[in-house]
This record gives sequence, structure tokens and C-alpha cells, in this order.
Amino acid sequence: MSGASHTSTLHRYLAGGWALFLTRWSVPLIWLILLLLLTFGMSHMEGVFRLVEPDTREVIYRRTSFAALLGQHLLVVGVASLLAILLGVGAAIAVTRPAGRDFQPMVAQLASIGQTFPPVAVLALAVPALGFGTLPIIVALLLYGLLPIVRNTLAGLSGIDAGVREAARGMGMTGGQILRQVELPLAAPVILAGIRTSVTINIATAAIGATVGASNLGDPIISGIVNGNTAYIVQGAVLIGLLAITIDSLFDRLQRHRPLST
Amino acid sequence: MTIIPRRSNRVLLCLMLAGVLSWLMLDAVSMAPNRIVPGTPHRAHEVMGWWLSLLSLLPMLAIAALAWRPDTGRLRVALGLLVLLLAAMPLWLAAAVSALADPSMPQARLGIGPALWVLLFLWLLGVIELRTRLGLSRPMGWLLLVPVLLGWWLALSRWLEPLALYREYQGRSDQFISAVGHHLALVGAAVGASLVVGVSLALAMRRFPGLRRAGFGVLNFIQTIPSLALFGLLLAPLAWLAGRFDWLASLGVSGIGWAPAWLALVGYSLLPMVRNTYVALEEVDPAVIESARGMGMSRRQAFLQVRLPLALPVMLEGVRITTVQAIGLTAVAALIGAGGLGTFIFQGLGQAAMDLVLLGALPIIALALVADALLGALTERLRHGGAS
Repeated sequence: MSGASHTSTLHRYLAGGWALFLTRWSVPLIWLILLLLLTFGMSHMEGVFRLVEPDTREVIYRRTSFAALLGQHLLVVGVASLLAILLGVGAAIAVTRPAGRDFQPMVAQLASIGQTFPPVAVLALAVPALGFGTLPIIVALLLYGLLPIVRNTLAGLSGIDAGVREAARGMGMTGGQILRQVELPLAAPVILAGIRTSVTINIATAAIGATVGASNLGDPIISGIVNGNTAYIVQGAVLIGLLAITIDSLFDRLQRHRPLST
Repeated sequence: MTIIPRRSNRVLLCLMLAGVLSWLMLDAVSMAPNRIVPGTPHRAHEVMGWWLSLLSLLPMLAIAALAWRPDTGRLRVALGLLVLLLAAMPLWLAAAVSALADPSMPQARLGIGPALWVLLFLWLLGVIELRTRLGLSRPMGWLLLVPVLLGWWLALSRWLEPLALYREYQGRSDQFISAVGHHLALVGAAVGASLVVGVSLALAMRRFPGLRRAGFGVLNFIQTIPSLALFGLLLAPLAWLAGRFDWLASLGVSGIGWAPAWLALVGYSLLPMVRNTYVALEEVDPAVIESARGMGMSRRQAFLQVRLPLALPVMLEGVRITTVQAIGLTAVAALIGAGGLGTFIFQGLGQAAMDLVLLGALPIIALALVADALLGALTERLRHGGAS
């Protein structure tokens, strides 16, 4: 990006201020507000859920507050995704450097074969290995979430024209500079797409984690299925759906314009 | 032909080193007197003594030695050794059974320990690495698995009755077979329906461009919603519909069961199917269609005889993605009573019976891998057939 347009972007940011911020991020913001409203307001909507389950005594899931469930869900997905990004991008960078290049074919194959494994099966396999609770879920999400990130980072880095690298080297850049200032910025859109896939899968798989003893937004659904209470199911399902859509629309915006980067 | 450098294959060296360490330091098997009591773990040297367990490291050390200064011949030998090791694992398990068996405990169960899982993983990685380095074709790669499967089959049918996984299977072999059938039927029904609906939708999108944006928007939206949530959201309306219309209920439609599962599966399958069909049809070179038309083909002929066959490989890619995805999602559908292999997973998790979980999870992975390989091979064949 040239200096002139860089300054003008910055200028527009300052001048436009809030209005610009709001128009740019309006879609994810609306979903977020809806998510928060329902998270905190669900317990006041007894009348609505009475319609779904007229004969049941309790129509609002009260074992844990929805806010706590949402927090748990975000925490598990956040920790797993963050680690997956660090490890995945790191691994892909390592195997594209001269020192690690021997490992590249195997890592690429592993990432593509691994993605045929269903996430539920990976989650199920983590339990015999690690036991019940939150830890196996984080590990399973981390391992499975690595795959799209590694795959996309590899694709992004190897998709860069060799001439570009050559030119950067010709300008006297070191290997590290080329990586930070040329390769990673050029590969960023593809890497971001991989992270988006990874996070989307993680949100969905974490919900299934409620069956292996993690307490998160999957809980009301599982409890509703077990007790035959449709109202619980709807409450959990709506919140998970909204969470997924909020995060996805956030990534959608990020992918369209990456403000002030590069 | 791939060029094989004359310096050591560090990947193989690392894999074998890790293999040796896990064989010496992790538990190889565990033995439990019955289903309820947790097993006692045993390391390899506790099963077969130090001498034999060190001796059994020789093949891995040999592979490492071959990888030190590799050439095509040496790597071939290394690949042969790896396949041999994979085939020998069940035989070793059989030996472990006879070493640890206690005649007073006829219900004893042998669990596969972390060392063997790690070795299985490392050796398979080794096979993948060598297949790539040697430039072996896909069918050759699958052929390599034949001796391995033979080894397992032989051991399971004769000596491995106490293997915990096998005991779980024996306890419910009828259920297992019907679950596999059910799983495949649900996947087939969903993929079939989404193929019909998806192709029609893609054709409609080509005809009416206005539909494209909205259509992809909706399908993308569905794909974003987590599976458990979508199953849950379909539950209430379907229960209501079934309560209202008797003919729906008599078809077996209800809030739980196959109906919401099937609908959700079709919903998820539509995006890859429509996207691939649409892109495949659009990507056909206009010049090719032009020349077909120039040769006197009607619009319809040009579509059916030129555009469709050219688009077929990419469309089939969509079927592959959809099928693999549906195999995994059907497992989740077991939670809403749709049956299939996922039932074992969730039953096993509920009873903390880990071998039952494996009985569900391993076949699901196998199904996904086989479906992926078969449809991938078919796509490959069509692509080459289409070029001639």
C-alpha cells in the first residue's frame, strides 16, 4: 500500500470516527447486541417459552446462568483457537523455512488427511486419552483446529510468487524481514480464511463437548434432550447459533477490509 | 519420478526415535478382569521381558539406519519394514494376551495402551512420508494396507477375543451392523437429496442471477450454525408439525429421530454441492461451448454432451466434501435419536465405557477415510477420462 493512501485511510478513520466505525462493523455489532440481549434477557422470557412447553413446570434453564455458559463457551473456544493459531501458523512457517523443509510434505499430507476425520470422532477419542471435563475438549479443539490453519498457511506461503521473494532478497532483506514484511502480509487473507474455518468448527464442536462434562452453551440442549424439555433446547440452540453468527460476521468484516494493516 | 536427495531423511529418523521412546516409556497394554474394573497398565518389557522388548526395537532401528543415507532402494526396504511392523502389531497383541492371560478370569479384557496408539500413528506417518518420497500412486498406497488389514483380521479371528474393543463388538454385533447400515442410509439419503436439490438450485442460479446472491447468502448462513444448534432448532417445529398432521407422524416424522437429522444434513450439504456445481458449470471455457454449437449441436446437446461432462469432476468433488461432512454430522445426530454409529459414542460416554466410544468413533473415521478415498479416486479417473 502506498504512503498516500495509507495516510488518507488514517485520516478518514479520525474524521469519520464513530460513524465510520459503526457502519463498518454494524453487522457483527447487531448480532452481538442480539446475542447479549438474549443471554441476559432469556430468564425474563418465560411467557414465550411457556408457548413451547405448556405442560412443563420449569421452562427456563436455570442450572447455570446463560452468561456463565456463554463465558465458558468463549473461554474454551478462545483458548483452543489462540493456541491453534500460534502452533498452526508457527508449524507452517517452520516447515517452509530451509531448515524444516524436509517435513513439509508430511505435514501437508497430515493436515489434509486429518481434515477428513469428523470433529466429533476426534472429541470422542480425546476422552479415553484424557478423561472427562474441559481439558480433553480444549485439546481436541486445538488439534482439530490446527488442521485448517496449517493447511491454509502452507497454501498462502507457497502461493507467493518466487519472484517476490527474490526481489525482497535483492533489496537486502534478511530471512526474518522477508517473512514478516512480505510473506505473512501476502498470505494473510488465506491464513485468515483458515482461522475462520477453524473457529467456526470449534464453536460447533465445543457445544458437543457438553456431553463429555464441559459446561457451556451445549448444556441446555443436552439437558433438554435428556429431559424432553424443548424449551431448554431452543434456548441453547438460539444462543449457540447467535454466537456462531456473531463470530462469523466478525471474520467476514475482517476479511473484507483489514483496517490499518499491511 | 521424484528426486531423492542423498542426505538423511530426518522425518523418518525423528519418527523412529519417537517410536523407540514411546515403546520403552509408555504403557503398551492394560489388562482388566472385567468391564467395570479399570485395567492394570503394563509396559512392553513387563509383558515380554527386557531382552525381547529391546530386540523388538530392531526393525525401527533398521528403518532409522536406512533413512540415514537413503536411496530409492533403501527407502523401499524401509517402507516394507514399516508395513511389516503395522501388520505385526496385532500379532504382538495376541502374544501379549497369552502372556498376561489368567485362566481364572475368562472375562478379562485387554486394552490397547498409549504406546501402541502412538506407534500406530507414527508408523502411519512414516508410510505417508515414504509414499510421498517414493512418489507412489494412491492405489499403491492403499495396496500397502492389505497386509496390515490381513494381520488384524487373522489375529482378531483367532487369538484376540479378549481385546476390549472386540468384546464390545461381540456383545452387540447385530446392533453394530445395523448401526453402520443406518449411518450409511442416513448419509446416502442426505447426499442424494442434496445432490438433486443442489444441482437444480445451481441450474436455477445460472438462469436467474438474482437468485445467486440470496441463495448463497442463505446457504452460507445455514453452514455457519453449529450442528447441535440446528438439530435443536429443527426439533420444535417438527414436533409441532407431526402433532398437527397425522400423515407426517405416520411417516415417522417427529421432533426427534431421523427427520430433523436428515433435514439438517441436507441443509449442511447444500452449500458445498451448490457451490461446486455452480462453479464447475460456470468455469467451462466458453470457447468450447462455442465450438460445440458451431458443430451444429443444439443448446441442450451442448449442455448435456459438453458442459456437463466437463463440469463433472468438480461436481463430484462437491459430492466428496458433502459425504465426508455428512458422515461426521450423522454421528452428532445420534444425540437427537437418529441412530447410527454416534449412538455408541454417546452411550459409551454416558457409561464411561471408553471401548464403546472407540467402537463408535473408529468406524466413523474409517468410513470418512474410505468415502474420501473412493470419491477422490473416482474424481481423478473422471478427470483423466475427460481429457481423452
